[in-house]
Order: sequence, then C-alpha cells, then structure tokens
Amino acid sequence: MIDLLSQGASSLRAYQAAMNTTSENIANANTDGYTRRTTQLNELAATNDGLTTGLGVTVSGLSRASDELRNTEVRSTGSDLARTQASVTWLQRIDSALSDTKVADRLTAFFGSAQSLAADPSSTPARSAMLSAAQQAADAFTAAGSALDAAARELDANVDASVAGLNNLSQALASVNLSLGRTQANSAAKAQLLDQRDSLLEQMSAITDMSAQFDDLGRATIRAGGVNGAVLVQPGASVTISAAHNDAGVYAFKVSQGGVSRSLVPQGGTLAGYSESARRIADAKSTLDKTANDFATGVNAVQARGADLSGNPGAPIFAMDAEGGTANMTVVLADPAGIAAAASGGGPRDNGNLSALAALRKTGGFETAVTDMVVANGSALSGRQMVADAQGAIHDGAITNRSQIRDVDLDQEAVDLLRFQQAYQASSHVIQTARDTFQTLLNIG
Amino acid sequence: MRVTTSLFYSRASAQMSRLSDQAGTLQGQIASGKKITSAADDAVAYQRLSTLKQAGADDGVYKGNLSMAQGLLAQTDSALGGVQTQLQRVQELMVQANSGTLNQSQREGLAASIDSIRDDLLGLANGTDMRGQPLFGGDSGDTAFTQAADGSIAFTGSATTASIPIGAQAQVQATVSGASVFGGDGTAPDIFATLQSFADALRSGDALSTGTMASDIDAAMTNVTNVRASFAARGARVDLEVARLADVGSAREVTRSSLEDVDVTDAITKLQNTMTTLQAAQASFTKLSSLSLFNYLK
Repeated sequence: MIDLLSQGASSLRAYQAAMNTTSENIANANTDGYTRRTTQLNELAATNDGLTTGLGVTVSGLSRASDELRNTEVRSTGSDLARTQASVTWLQRIDSALSDTKVADRLTAFFGSAQSLAADPSSTPARSAMLSAAQQAADAFTAAGSALDAAARELDANVDASVAGLNNLSQALASVNLSLGRTQANSAAKAQLLDQRDSLLEQMSAITDMSAQFDDLGRATIRAGGVNGAVLVQPGASVTISAAHNDAGVYAFKVSQGGVSRSLVPQGGTLAGYSESARRIADAKSTLDKTANDFATGVNAVQARGADLSGNPGAPIFAMDAEGGTANMTVVLADPAGIAAAASGGGPRDNGNLSALAALRKTGGFETAVTDMVVANGSALSGRQMVADAQGAIHDGAITNRSQIRDVDLDQEAVDLLRFQQAYQASSHVIQTARDTFQTLLNIG
Repeated sequence: MRVTTSLFYSRASAQMSRLSDQAGTLQGQIASGKKITSAADDAVAYQRLSTLKQAGADDGVYKGNLSMAQGLLAQTDSALGGVQTQLQRVQELMVQANSGTLNQSQREGLAASIDSIRDDLLGLANGTDMRGQPLFGGDSGDTAFTQAADGSIAFTGSATTASIPIGAQAQVQATVSGASVFGGDGTAPDIFATLQSFADALRSGDALSTGTMASDIDAAMTNVTNVRASFAARGARVDLEVARLADVGSAREVTRSSLEDVDVTDAITKLQNTMTTLQAAQASFTKLSSLSLFNYLK
C-alpha cells in the first residue's frame, strides 16, 4: 500500500511540474529568444530485485527544444544578410550624394551657357548667365563632395557604435559563460541562461561573422571572422575590439587581450558591410575630386589662353583649395567682362576661345565621368539589392526552420495542458484509492 | 510542418507588409509617372536617359543660337537688299549723267543725289543688329564705318566675324564684315570712295570717265549680290537645322518616354492585383488568427 501512495504522490508532483512548464511556455509564447521547454519525466525504478512494480515517476529536469544546427544556420545567414543590407544602405547614400546634387546637369548647363554666349559674345547678360552657371557647377561639386564627406563621417560613427555593441555583447556573453559554469544542469535557471546565450550570439552574428563552440556546461567560445579568426569570448576571458581607418577609407579591426592584439577581418555582419562601404565612399570622393580638379584646371587654362572684353588674358574662373578636390571649389571671377570669350588678340565680339571651351568639354569628358560614377554605383546598388532579397529569403527560411523546433505553438500547449491535467487528476484518484484501501485494512482489525 | 504561434504572426505581418510595399511602389510610380528614379532602378536606362537629357539641354542652347542666327541673317539680308536698291539708283543716275546734255546745275543736282545715296548707304552700313552691336562691324570697333571731317568714309570695324555655334560640330556665320560688302580694306570694291569720286567729278564740270565708274559700280553690285546669295544659302541651312532639331527632339522624347515613363494602364492593373491579394491576405489572417484550441476549452 505504501507503493500505491508514494507512486500517487510522485506522480502528483511530476504532473504539477509539467503543468508549470506548460504554463511557462504559454506565458512566453511571444517572448523573443525563448526556447520551448519540456519537463523530463522518468520512471523511478525499483532498486532491489523481486519487486513487481516501480516506485512511481520523477522529474529529471527541463529540456530545451533547441537545435544547434538550426541556430547556426540563422546566425550565418543573418551575418550575410546584415553585410549586404549595410552595403545597400551606404550605396544608396552615395547614389543620392552623386545624383541628387545633379553635378552632370550643372556641367551641361555651364558648357551650354558658354555656347549661348558664343552667339552674342559681348552681351553682359549672357556673360553673367555663364558666371552664374559656373557658380552652380562649383556648388554642385561642393555639395556632392560634402555629402560624401558627411556619409563617411556618419559611417565612421556607425562603425564605432557597432564595435561598441560588439564589445558589450562580448562582455555580456562572458558573464553568461560565468553563470553557466555555476548553474545546475537541466534547471530552469540553466535554460534561461542558455536562451540568453543564444540571443547574444544572434546579436553578435549581425555585427560580424562568427563561429561558436560550446563546452559541456554550455559555455561558448566565439571566434570572429571565420573558424580560425580571433577569439572574442571564451570561458574565463574576454577581449576588447577596436576599429581604425586610413585616408583611403580602409578599416582595420583589432582584438586586444592583455596587451596582445590580433587583427579581425570580418567577412560578414554589419562590420564587413561598413568596411566595404567606406572604401566605396572614399573611391567615389577621390573620383569626384579628380573630376572637379580637372574641370576647374581645364576651364582656367582655357580662360588664360583667351582674351576678356578688355583684351587681357582671362583670369581664372574657379579656385580650389591647396589640396584640390571639391571641398573648397569656388568661383573667383566676379566681373562678367572677365570671361575670355575671344581668342587671344580677337575683338570683343570674337568667340574663338569659347570653341576652345567646347573642345575641352569633349576631351575632358567631365559629364560622362560623373554619369559613369552614378551608373556604376547604381549597378552595384541594384546588384546588392537583389542579393539582399535572396539572402533575406534564405534568412527567413532559416528562422522558419528554427521556429518549427524552438518556438511555442499555443494549440500544442493546450493539448499538453489537458493531458497533464488529466494525469494529475488520475494521480489524485490513485492517492484516494490508497487511502480507501488502507481504511479497508484498518477496518478488518 | 509545425507552425508555431510566433511564426504564424511574423509570417502574416511580413507577407502583408511586402504587399503594402509593392502597392506603395506602384502608387509612387503612377503618381510621378516615372519608373526610373535612380540609377539603381535600371543602370543602362539611366545612362541612356542621362545622354538624352544632356543632348536635350545642348539642343535647347543651339535652338536659342539658331533663332539668334535667323534674326541676324534676316537683318543682314534686308540691309544688303537696301544696299542693292541704292546701287541700282546709282546705276540709273550714271545713265543720266552719261547722256552728255546736262548743264552744270543739273550735274550739281545729280551730285547731291549721289551724296544722299552715300549717306543712306552709310546709314545701312552702320546699322545695329538685334544684339545692339554694329551689324557690319565684325569682331571689334564701336562703329563699322566712320566719316572723317573731309567727308571721306573709312572702315573702322574688324574684317573678321565670329561664327555662331548651332550644333556640336556646326557653326554659321550670321553676319558679314562691312569691309567685304562696302569695301575699305582692299578685299571688295570701295563703294563709298567710288560714289565720292563720282560726285566730285560731277561737281568739277570735267568730262566724266563714265566707263570706269560704271564698271566700279557694277563690280560693287555683283559683290553685294554674291554676298546676299551666300546669306540666302546660310539662311536655308539654318532653317533646315531648326527643322532637324525639332525632329531630333521629337524622336528623343519618344525614346525618353519609352525608357522612363510608366505604362499607367499596366501599373494600375498591377496595383489592383496587389490590393486584391492584400485584402485576401488580411481577411484570411483575421479568420486564421481567431482559431485557437483555447477557444474550445471551457
């Protein structure tokens, strides 16, 4: 009779625990990163031979519905997607810096105004129109240049924020590692820590590509930038990640631990996307600067070869700062009469030098250079967008795969709840039966 | 497949937001009428559009220059027509002078007529063009011809005239230097000097060397006629160029439209299709989300 009572009692306790777990699952059906848990029940086996029954049921612990393969898939596809999305964002910035400022249109207008002036070379309105077209061309170059500079600065701030984020995540993971080492296996606390660990890993994978290895206690060792990359986190230690870039826009990431540094070359995640974008921004800036310099120098040289309204050699129209480039492109010719429309020695109604300007337009190919930049950037952008769409679909698939194992299905929990409730009620009947049987025996006496 | 609760909701929201996104893109295209707003939409088309836009801007400039050239050519033509009329009168006066029965006072009268013709011609030669510049002045000088105190008229402009660009490679000389029409620098018969000596001879009472003078005036007339004919040819060329620009402009517009403009019918059909799908997705989501086993556990 003792058997019946203890079996009933153990089963009552076990199903109570199972219902608690189910209720926890229902409560966290919409919690991000929560992994569905199940209560592990085991038969309490009889210890000595000869008994015909077991001793009831025991709760051996909680198990998490986690599949590391599927988690890894979510992380690696997430890294790829984050990299491409970062590239797309910054390629869009370059696109708008180059095309919204309409540099090519302004150059066309400038050369057009010179051709208009050629029809009436001594006209002051036509000369003023050409000077204002020159001003607009200079403004467009300056605006495009400063938009790219602003993009580079903002990108730098984003890189810093990502690196800081990665440092924070590494530290958080290190402390989770520490706690995992002290927590009892199969406990609710362990399950919570493992959920936290997986969620941190997913966030880290959005910043850099990484590989994770786990020891028996569930503690993670993280390498960033490939399986042989620098160690970011390992049980008992964590590191500091830093970023720096040179003038050509090339970023270098470093992982330092106790005075020893190792370089980190991200192949995925936002850091890889930022690295690539920084290079693109720097390239676009240098091409734009070169075009601006060639344009200003070319126009000034043509000016110098011609004669202005007073018959003097033309003074420069454009000025650049010492370094050249778009940063300080200004129009320094204020007097419309200063435009050297005439060829050297020509009269005030001569337009020989303006055809030299038309020739410079053809040989210089400034408009084509700017348009080519916009088009090259646009093709890269549309290519990236297509890749991002594909990677997004792959990432969604990975999340779906993980969700099928990991996430909570309320209908399933409802079924479980019913199942455990019935088992619980049955157990209480077992105890009642034991009591009734006992009573019968006592009544005999 | 096990559809978990969070998966059900996140999928529904992703699908519906994708459809809304599509509808938004289509709506934007219909509203703006353009399907290419950045190089990323279609890099090849964007490049072609840039070329078309540049050619359009250039042609706008050339159109302005052509209408300037047309005006200048017309002004030059009518001035040259005036010169021809005056030279014809000189030829008539020369026939009169040649009749040999004129007394001195009649000769004085003829000389006065020649003087007035000379003044008229000077007025024509110093005409102002539509730019406010001397029509026959060439590249420099404030006036084409200047009359000295002794009555002699000298060319004070420039022998060269600037051509007006009317195309990437094409130029037209819409004016002519006064020296090539009225003489004065040895390149063409000097009309003013010829008239001066004709009037002087009439006043002097000496016998007239009419043969030489007539051939001088004839030569001047031939020169002016030739110059005017060459201007008529330029005018025809400019008219052709104007017509060509209009044709090229229409063709360019057709190409631009095919590259850039949205096929509105097509876009609206697609939008309608997207909206229908979106509504169906919303309806089915509402139905499915109300299904839960918990509803039946009472």
